[in-house]
Amino acid sequence: MSRPLPIALAVLALAVLAGTGTGAEPTAAQQEALKLLDAEFERLGPLLGQVTDAGYAEFVRKTLDRHKVQRASLAAAFDSTRYDELKLGLLVERQRLLAWLKPPALPPDARPRPRVASRPEPPPPDPLPYPVDELADDRPEAVGVAGFAPRGFLEAHCVGCHDADTRKGGVDLTALAWPPDAAASGSRWAQVHDRVAAGEMPPKAKATRPDAAGQAAFLGGLNATLTQAGRAAARRDGRSRQRRLNASEFENAVRDLLHAPWLQLRGGLPDDGVADRFNKSGAALDVSHVQLSRMMGLVDAALRQAIGVQAVRVPPTTRRFYAREQKTLVNEYQQVPMNTWPDRQNFPLLGTRTEVDVRLGKAPRTVGAADPARRELEAVGWLGIAFPKWDRTPIPVAGRYRLRFSGYTVWAGPNGYSGLFKGPDAAERVRQATRWHLPDLDDASPGRRDEPVSVYAEGGGRSRRLGGFDLTPEVAVHEFDAWLGADESVVPRATRLVQPRPPNPTNFNAQRDGAPGVAFRWVEVEGPLADDAAAAGYRLLFGDLPLTAFEGGGKRVAVASDRPKADAERLLRGFLGRAYRRPAAEADVADLLALVSAQLDAGVGFAEAMIAGYTAALLSPGFLLLQERPGTLDDYALASRLSFFLWNSPPDDALRTLAATGQLHKPEVLWREAERLLADPKATRFVEAFLDYWLDLRRIEETTPSASLYNDYYLDDALVEAALSESRLYFAELLRHDLPARAVVASDFTFLNERLARHYGVPGVSGVAMRRVTLPAGSSRGGVLTQASVLKVTANGTTTSPVVRGKWVTERVLGYEFPPPPPVGAVEPDTRGAVTIRQQLDKHRADASCATCHSRMDPPGFALEGFDVFGGERDRYRAVAPGGVPVAGFGKNGQPFEFHLGPPVDAAGVLPDGRAFADVRDFKRLLLETPEGEAVIARNLVTQLVTYATGTPPRFADRAAVERLLERTRAGGYGVRRLVHEVVRSEMFRAK
Amino acid sequence: MNSPNRPSPTVAPRPIARRTFLLAAGVSLGLPALEAMARPLAPPQAAKPRRLLAVCNNLGVLPDLFFPAGGGRDYRPSPYLELLAAHRGDLSVFSGVSHPGVDGSHASEACFLTAAPHPGSGSFRNSISLDQYVAEQIGGLTRFPSIALGVNTRRGLSWTGSGVAIPCEGKAADVFRQLFLQGTPAEVAAQVRKLDTGRSVLDAVGGQLRRLGSEVGAADRDRLDQYATSVRELESRLLASRGWEHRPKPAVAAAVPTDPGSAAAYLEKVKIMYDLARLAFETDSTRSITLMLDSAATPAVTLPTATTTEGYHNLSHHGKSDAKRSQLRSLDEAHMRLLAGLFADLKGVREGGETLLDRTMVLYGSNLGDANTHSTLNMPTLLAGGGFKHGQHLAFDRGKNYPLPNLFVSMLQRMGIEADRFATSTGTMRGLELA
Repeated sequence: MSRPLPIALAVLALAVLAGTGTGAEPTAAQQEALKLLDAEFERLGPLLGQVTDAGYAEFVRKTLDRHKVQRASLAAAFDSTRYDELKLGLLVERQRLLAWLKPPALPPDARPRPRVASRPEPPPPDPLPYPVDELADDRPEAVGVAGFAPRGFLEAHCVGCHDADTRKGGVDLTALAWPPDAAASGSRWAQVHDRVAAGEMPPKAKATRPDAAGQAAFLGGLNATLTQAGRAAARRDGRSRQRRLNASEFENAVRDLLHAPWLQLRGGLPDDGVADRFNKSGAALDVSHVQLSRMMGLVDAALRQAIGVQAVRVPPTTRRFYAREQKTLVNEYQQVPMNTWPDRQNFPLLGTRTEVDVRLGKAPRTVGAADPARRELEAVGWLGIAFPKWDRTPIPVAGRYRLRFSGYTVWAGPNGYSGLFKGPDAAERVRQATRWHLPDLDDASPGRRDEPVSVYAEGGGRSRRLGGFDLTPEVAVHEFDAWLGADESVVPRATRLVQPRPPNPTNFNAQRDGAPGVAFRWVEVEGPLADDAAAAGYRLLFGDLPLTAFEGGGKRVAVASDRPKADAERLLRGFLGRAYRRPAAEADVADLLALVSAQLDAGVGFAEAMIAGYTAALLSPGFLLLQERPGTLDDYALASRLSFFLWNSPPDDALRTLAATGQLHKPEVLWREAERLLADPKATRFVEAFLDYWLDLRRIEETTPSASLYNDYYLDDALVEAALSESRLYFAELLRHDLPARAVVASDFTFLNERLARHYGVPGVSGVAMRRVTLPAGSSRGGVLTQASVLKVTANGTTTSPVVRGKWVTERVLGYEFPPPPPVGAVEPDTRGAVTIRQQLDKHRADASCATCHSRMDPPGFALEGFDVFGGERDRYRAVAPGGVPVAGFGKNGQPFEFHLGPPVDAAGVLPDGRAFADVRDFKRLLLETPEGEAVIARNLVTQLVTYATGTPPRFADRAAVERLLERTRAGGYGVRRLVHEVVRSEMFRAK
Repeated sequence: MNSPNRPSPTVAPRPIARRTFLLAAGVSLGLPALEAMARPLAPPQAAKPRRLLAVCNNLGVLPDLFFPAGGGRDYRPSPYLELLAAHRGDLSVFSGVSHPGVDGSHASEACFLTAAPHPGSGSFRNSISLDQYVAEQIGGLTRFPSIALGVNTRRGLSWTGSGVAIPCEGKAADVFRQLFLQGTPAEVAAQVRKLDTGRSVLDAVGGQLRRLGSEVGAADRDRLDQYATSVRELESRLLASRGWEHRPKPAVAAAVPTDPGSAAAYLEKVKIMYDLARLAFETDSTRSITLMLDSAATPAVTLPTATTTEGYHNLSHHGKSDAKRSQLRSLDEAHMRLLAGLFADLKGVREGGETLLDRTMVLYGSNLGDANTHSTLNMPTLLAGGGFKHGQHLAFDRGKNYPLPNLFVSMLQRMGIEADRFATSTGTMRGLELA
């Protein structure tokens, strides 16, 4: 419901806007605005009085005098732009004073030791944590109720409201077909069943309520009939529809086939359709000429890139890129008009001493190869995140590389300086010390703490994180391996540092005696690492035949063959043996051979003819379609289901062999293979793909925290990465240790690194590495509901809504689906602090028709009101409105906090069953305090897993099977790994 | 009569004139996505050409500053419409309109031109977009049946009949080259060869699909049919492209545009896309263009009149903050000025005694009626040019909206396409008459 802007404020807003540059007498609204400035001046006075440094105090006094002159000129002639500038200027001055008076709460001079040790790697799970039994017989013949017909019951109790004329709630029961057709009317009949079974229908107030026996007979008959109909349909057509690979499976499949993990294909394809929340359903995975044309281009390019690896076979070499030789690094020594902040400058270091002459251009940038010992000590330092980077770290060819980084942490300061910096003139410094927050880059000393570094591969318009390490005050070399695409360069970023943005930023890390920074000496890239897989792609395509030309980045490719047609057949058969997930039909081979043959006859050359053949193979159903027939899956189809479930990728050789020899369907083999797949590193593809859709983690970048309300989160990539990582590691942990399903909601541990631990207020975690951490008693964290990632994807970057979050939790975690919302307007978010979202919502909850859904939907959202847009805990809302007193501090972007604390948060609520909770800890406890509560969580997890694995959620006819599955796992608390195994051996999984 | 959501099976397949199909590594990935390109050559249309440009700003505008007061021809322009005052007689503004059943906040951007209901639901399926419907009918008349453009996004406004997203092209320079840069004879020959190879590849794929079809049960038949249809469609698109390869491309005086690298150069990019659209229409290279302005993915931008302090999306969640509203207003006004420039440019081109604007329907609007509330009701909507009696404010009930798909039906009919229905339409746009 769109509410009009309160008139006074609207007038103020418009009047202030309208005042631009008119030079007229201030209006009443502008007078109000000027009063806000006066209030700010008044707040600054006492703060200034506390400054003990005479030089700084004098400097601030002069600044304020200047601002007062501006204030006076605004009173004479109002100008909204100059007003905004002045307001920001006063805010910056205030925040800097506060920071001087109360330095940031950083460990001042010590590295945070002792560290929390990483939890030792737990032992692998028992080989057989639970007994293998025969595959569950999930398909007993349903016992139908002979002659059952629902009409009598409906006529007596339902159609008074739900007929074609009244259609209460949009439901016309007279239009439902009987007997039910599983696909069309089945789900509506299921709703009838569930509403009656839950006692919601007929409404309690009606006189037409059935007696208990009548209701039981109706439900029994309906249940049996729906189940029978569903099973019949499943036997005829399968539960799921045939589908193509989705974009992410396609990318994995091509990568695995061509041994090219660096291939980037997903971004080139149209977004896939989603059904029942996952990108796994045939109903949504349409094929269009758009897809095919994109795939054709991508496959062709991928084949040529894989061939290119062979073309550029180079022995592994080590390339070292000295920081002192990087133009973009050394060019930032000097201040230029666009760059007057020391936080964005670099400085040349020899050990921890700044080489002032080098900085001023009076000495060479580097001693170079002439003096290797000294060169080894040369480094470049900086205080911010992203601005300085290596020119490029070019590599000869895509492949696996070993990356090494030599560096350490430094401290710049104590002296500050301001303005355009000329040199190490002592007199200058005294004067400039007034700007204590701008460190003197010419006065460096050893670092006082570790600095986390993330390393990214950038190129081709993409940036992706490769890994990370902690720089220490002592010089050290940090090393790890990574796959790199040919166009990618390596970029290290010290993530805790400031990312200054205009205007006039302030380093939030600055203390009176300086600021932390990092220094890098060099980056080494060694490789391509001798790896059999590197050549395997070419070998698959052309065996031992020599590559004779590779030009224009693969535009022209030539391979020599003495017997082209015979070679073509041999190679193509070998290729299809791997690309197709079941043996290729002879007719298909013949078609592809005919294509290659025709190309050869047309004179396009052997390599080009083969590329055409391979392209056709990868566009054909043998590669793109998951081919399943109604009934129990054959071993090939089962192998695909299993590997696309637990790897999001096609089967490997071992799985393929088990399918070819007819072993896979045996219970112990299937169990062993599921274990093997889960233990393989490729299982991370499952965790990521599953959580991307189940928990919407794919949307984590879709909103950006507001720069005015949340500039402590704004631009903080390290927080986003840690949050994403927490959720993935957490779910992987549940899987690996078969932890109970209740852990989806609550647990006493999670995964943290320093950044995320600081966000959660968990002490004692330092460094960039994520590790399992036991949470302090009483922590609200643990479980997905209170993970920063989930709290971010359910907010919009500026405000949170209990309706949005409550619906999300109810559907994703509790497994209850709501009908589409009625066409009413949403509540209008208001960040001015006068009214809370709960007060706004109370109105619509008072409406009975709204309350039907909202009494179930909103409570989980209320419980999460204690978390802001990025999952930080709060007990007051943040607000931006004229006149509030801003919270002290500066954001990641160096801009002052503008927000002030608004009304208190109320995180209490009442569950639909009447149980009340005070906050989120309480809420989690209520969810889990009954056995049925745990079963709800487990049932939902099974539903999500079945949907992901088979493309179709459990239907009405599958309910009994799901309940039996839960029954079997109840004793173990519904272990998550066990649930995965149970899904694998269920009929839902093993039959189409 | 055809109804857009059930395309007639008799409609000929639509080929593309994608210049390069099987290019090498690194090259084909960067190619523009003019997927829905040429159709088989069709006889020249006797009637005068009519064109469609549909633009969506996915964060919309501040509604209180956009919608005018009063209805009909005597409406009082809003602050934003004042900026379009020079074109008042050439445009109609609509209020109280929306797509029935289209909810789901930001997800509704997928439905701006399709009007498919409930985009936020778990099992949403999209349907054909207005521009693709036009392309299916008259796309064969031009080298490119349609062009999908985008600024700061690859998720465009165009959707195929089977509800598959057509990724949009964000690099104006690439589109410009495809439209206007003529290859050498050797390049053309190489291109023809590639197109032929592509058809041979698809032929082999088609064979396999046919054999598979006989083994598949009824429930899955339509999935295979869709696959096979797509193969055939792509084949005939390649064939038509082959035909267009031998026809010289139109020459234009304009230079290849330079695409700004940064997403912050948002408004500059919008201007470049407007210029490109005008050139494409002027040379009759296509008659159907969509342009998605992804404000939601746009960072803080610098304007001639102001600098925004944070990303466009966060500004849109202004939470009634005056500072944010004032920045949004600057952005909205910049959009209006660009739009005024586009109208003026289209009026500056003459074709057969009329201006290009007279023959070009420019639909400008947003899937969001109010980004602050994520409301999809009361979509801000403008229609300029294209042969309607303009100069009025068609004001409908803001509480109970009038179906916007009716406007799409009116537009289709004005294009000379026989359609009496589009998505959830209930007729043609009430009060909008042909010029």
